[in-house]
Amino acid sequence: MSLTITCPICGKRDGYEFRFGGEDKGPRPEEDGLTPQRWCEYVHLNECVAGVQKEWWVHKDGCGSWFTIHRDSVMNVEVATLEAHK
Amino acid sequence: MITRINQLPTLRVDPANKVVFDYKGKDYVGVKGDTVATALYHNGVRIFGRSLKYHRPRGLYSLDGECSNTCMEIDGIPNVRTENTLVKQGMKVKEQNVKGSAENDMMGFIDKLDWMMPAGFYYKTMHKPASIWPIAMKQIRKAAGLGVLSPDFEMPGKFDQIFPSADVVVIGGGPAGMNAALAAADKGLRVIIMESRPWLGGFFDYRTFDYKDAQYKNSKPLYSRARELASKVESHANIRVFKHTSVVGTYTNNLVTGFQIGGDNDKFNERYIEIRAKSVVVAAGCIERPLLFENNERPGVMQVACAHRLARTYGILAGEKAVFSVGHDLGLEAAVDLFDLGMKIICVADVREDGQNPYLMIELAKRNIPYLKGWVASEAHGSKRVNKVTMTTLDGTISRDFECDLVVASAGLTPINGHLTLAHAKLRYDSHTNFFVADTMPEKTHAAGRMLGLEDSLSIEVSGKLAGLNAALDCKLMPQSYGNTEVDALKSEIESFTAQSKELPGPARGSKFVTAPVKGRKTFICFDEDTTIKNIKQTIDMGFDVPELIKRFTSAGTGPGQGGIPGHNLPLYVAKYTAASSKCFSSSSSSSIQSLGATPKPTNVRPPLVPTLIATYSGSKHIMMKRTPMDEMQRADGGVFRKIGVWERARYFSDDFSCKKEIENVRNNVGMLDGSTLGKFRIHGPDALKVLQRVYVSDMSKVKTGRVKYSAMCNDDGCVIDDGVVVKLAENDYYFTTSTARAGATIEWLRYHTRFDGWDFYVVNLTDSMGVINLSGPNARKVLQKITSEDVSNSAFPFSGYKEFIIKDTIPVKAMRLGFVGELSYELHVPSSYMVSLWNMVKDAGKEFNIQNFGVEAQNVLRMEKCHIILGQESEQRTNLLDLGLGFLWDRTKKDAKTIGAVALRQAENDPTRFRLVGFEMENNGRAARDGALIVDDKVRGYVCTARDSFTLNKAVGMALVESHLAKVGTRIQIFEDECKGELIYGTVVPMPFYDPDGKRMKS
Repeated sequence: MSLTITCPICGKRDGYEFRFGGEDKGPRPEEDGLTPQRWCEYVHLNECVAGVQKEWWVHKDGCGSWFTIHRDSVMNVEVATLEAHK
Repeated sequence: MITRINQLPTLRVDPANKVVFDYKGKDYVGVKGDTVATALYHNGVRIFGRSLKYHRPRGLYSLDGECSNTCMEIDGIPNVRTENTLVKQGMKVKEQNVKGSAENDMMGFIDKLDWMMPAGFYYKTMHKPASIWPIAMKQIRKAAGLGVLSPDFEMPGKFDQIFPSADVVVIGGGPAGMNAALAAADKGLRVIIMESRPWLGGFFDYRTFDYKDAQYKNSKPLYSRARELASKVESHANIRVFKHTSVVGTYTNNLVTGFQIGGDNDKFNERYIEIRAKSVVVAAGCIERPLLFENNERPGVMQVACAHRLARTYGILAGEKAVFSVGHDLGLEAAVDLFDLGMKIICVADVREDGQNPYLMIELAKRNIPYLKGWVASEAHGSKRVNKVTMTTLDGTISRDFECDLVVASAGLTPINGHLTLAHAKLRYDSHTNFFVADTMPEKTHAAGRMLGLEDSLSIEVSGKLAGLNAALDCKLMPQSYGNTEVDALKSEIESFTAQSKELPGPARGSKFVTAPVKGRKTFICFDEDTTIKNIKQTIDMGFDVPELIKRFTSAGTGPGQGGIPGHNLPLYVAKYTAASSKCFSSSSSSSIQSLGATPKPTNVRPPLVPTLIATYSGSKHIMMKRTPMDEMQRADGGVFRKIGVWERARYFSDDFSCKKEIENVRNNVGMLDGSTLGKFRIHGPDALKVLQRVYVSDMSKVKTGRVKYSAMCNDDGCVIDDGVVVKLAENDYYFTTSTARAGATIEWLRYHTRFDGWDFYVVNLTDSMGVINLSGPNARKVLQKITSEDVSNSAFPFSGYKEFIIKDTIPVKAMRLGFVGELSYELHVPSSYMVSLWNMVKDAGKEFNIQNFGVEAQNVLRMEKCHIILGQESEQRTNLLDLGLGFLWDRTKKDAKTIGAVALRQAENDPTRFRLVGFEMENNGRAARDGALIVDDKVRGYVCTARDSFTLNKAVGMALVESHLAKVGTRIQIFEDECKGELIYGTVVPMPFYDPDGKRMKS
């Protein structure tokens, strides 16, 4: 609710306008030689960092684009970099 | 009834304007501006209710709703804080948690049984043997608790939500807050000020003690200074004032939430306010720290401001003979003022040895009010209300009894810090003010006023002004806001005010933490939860050492008052007692902080800071549904509408909800259905095909011009999320449909799953801009042929075909030959604006065949007979493509496309534990099982998806998801329905589809 997010196209907007798309886990792994274990980890396992993490958001009530931000999950604020800000 | 003092200039009530309300079935008279609590007090009510656990009598104590003492049931709503609720004509007020009446409560004897209920007794008793708990629970529930909500209660009133934006939000409408608002507004910023009382003024509003202006010359009463400020604030064009508005939450990024209580002319009872500001000023002020002594909550004991405001704001003298036991100059001031208003002051005890305002000391002496320095109340006497109080010296060596009907007791002040800590400020105990103060402030947040420990009225005003200027600086420093030309001027202005404020008195020394020298068996630290000092000692002796845990174990501070009473005392007492008890074992006391011995740790507060109604959070009940272009016409044709997802759709076209006529008409003649809710999309661009290959399980490169392709989308678990058809409009240009429910999420889904690829494509949601008419039945072709010159014969436009044509040289139609309902069927996709015209044309053309509407339910039965699935009905979250028997759609060869779901489907392919979709018919011509009924043997083996009595087939059939060993044709399945009382019904697995297995009819 208190979160604001900076959309790369529309700028800083209220968090209500966005939907969370999960932690950034990189592109889909190649399917050749992919074990069920590894696939399940890619899809379902999350780091759930208490601190700054990189994550995906979509501007659902705006331009509709997907992008990443860094968010401090403890303070629930967007931050500029992965470095924890004090 | 007490006579009101009608002539005070500080009054906030209109004594001439009477309000009649009902209390326990009798009429009572209050005046306009009264709260329910003050009106009752005026009428002589002293016991407002009984306490949660011990059924102790409770009365007026703080006048700001900081405890549950005066919570009552008003107009059927329990636990209303009567100190904050204005009395209204015809209001019905009742007391709570009493058997009999508050005055004579038959449960009052429980107070004597406190020895049976030590701290945490809920956790420690009544669980061995286990069988005792249900019995004990019943009795406890009867005896304990506050208000009771009737199960059939419906919340009356109107509730609203607003989301204003502002540059600066000021929390608190006292002198500091008003100065802050004016300072920021004068810089051209848009300011919102929120005040929980129905007027601005704070601590100034009811006081006459002289206000000193900048030169310490011209004196002015504080209340008139407050009113002068208030009129400036309320007439300022840049300031929006929310009075009677409690702030309930503050969050990061300067989000402030509150709720406002509606006045006579407002269109709401309460409304939720959520404000995003650029900067926040917190000037929430202080409440009083309760004095701890035996029976410190007996009716007749009240806080200083309660007695003082009762007189000055409401014109009511709280008692005739008062004893004061205070620790703060405001207490002395109240004693002087109340004496002047006619109250007999027997004595004033002050826990402070020094530091009193000499001016007030002189005033006390002038009035011959006995002053006991270093004394404190130790016990209040009187069974239902105070008739005597024992005063002692701090060390307990001397004590004396005084007869009185009012004990004004207060240990000192405590700041309202919740607004800071919610926004992640860390609190530190400050040994000078004895306050918890914010060590680091949240970003762009400024505190001002009395909550910083300031007492001098000018210091308070200047601190507010400074906070307002700092907030203004926050706004002006922001990029893209107001330009930076004024920033330097603002900075130097702030510097000069900072210098000026250093000349003024700073934070005052707070009164020491003092407890009367008593055992504390009836010394209440928390009124809401009936927690005594003795309970806290027991808890600490059991090994709890952190206030936060002690709060949990004793539940002190978890009641409706949100810690208003114990919030400050609990940490102080814990620090003092832990230090004292550890001293028994070690002699070192070097790190002692004042008399406490250890650093007090504050407990946390959480939103909502002030209890509010869930109705306020839920807001007004706007029901917003989408309607198709055919909405009115279907209503005119007798459509019965139902909410389906975001849409309102015609579900039936008669009172017969089995839809017999509608179904038979489609099977034998021709019917039309509004399919406009279908998700409709166009995707084009160089990489459009790649996207389709990623999201659809089939090989989409095989979509041929002039043909439709049915396929499905899965998620990464291989579970089906959507199905629909795709047509190729041109090279790298496709039109596709999704199910109604998925229309909103589809573009997001496409973009999400291609986010790492950088593909070039455009996707447009045409759901609302295109409408769909579904024309179905053996006569459908004849009807269609009448409105178009295009050849729609079976050879020119076969099953699975796609055609574009223009009707009457005007209406562009995308036509698909599909067979969802199992008959010859056309889906006509046209721009929404042409839908009405086309609908009428089809209807006119169909007249000679007696064309009829059919609704969603008829379609549901028709497609079920054909075993065409609807996702969400024949599937749930865990159902994958293979479970539904749709594995034929999946193309395993396109590994490079990284199709969503393919990996999981490969892994699930040979899994015998998965459900299978089967068709079944009911045994012995039985009725259809209800949707969602369970398939059982000794356990649950599956469930019925859709089942109906089929008129076409003359038997009851349905589809079910069952464990694979039950999937074989001929298997008998047992069906358990809700409330069937063990009477199972039975069915047999049969081949699918039930109707027209070869598909001759839909392909003809």
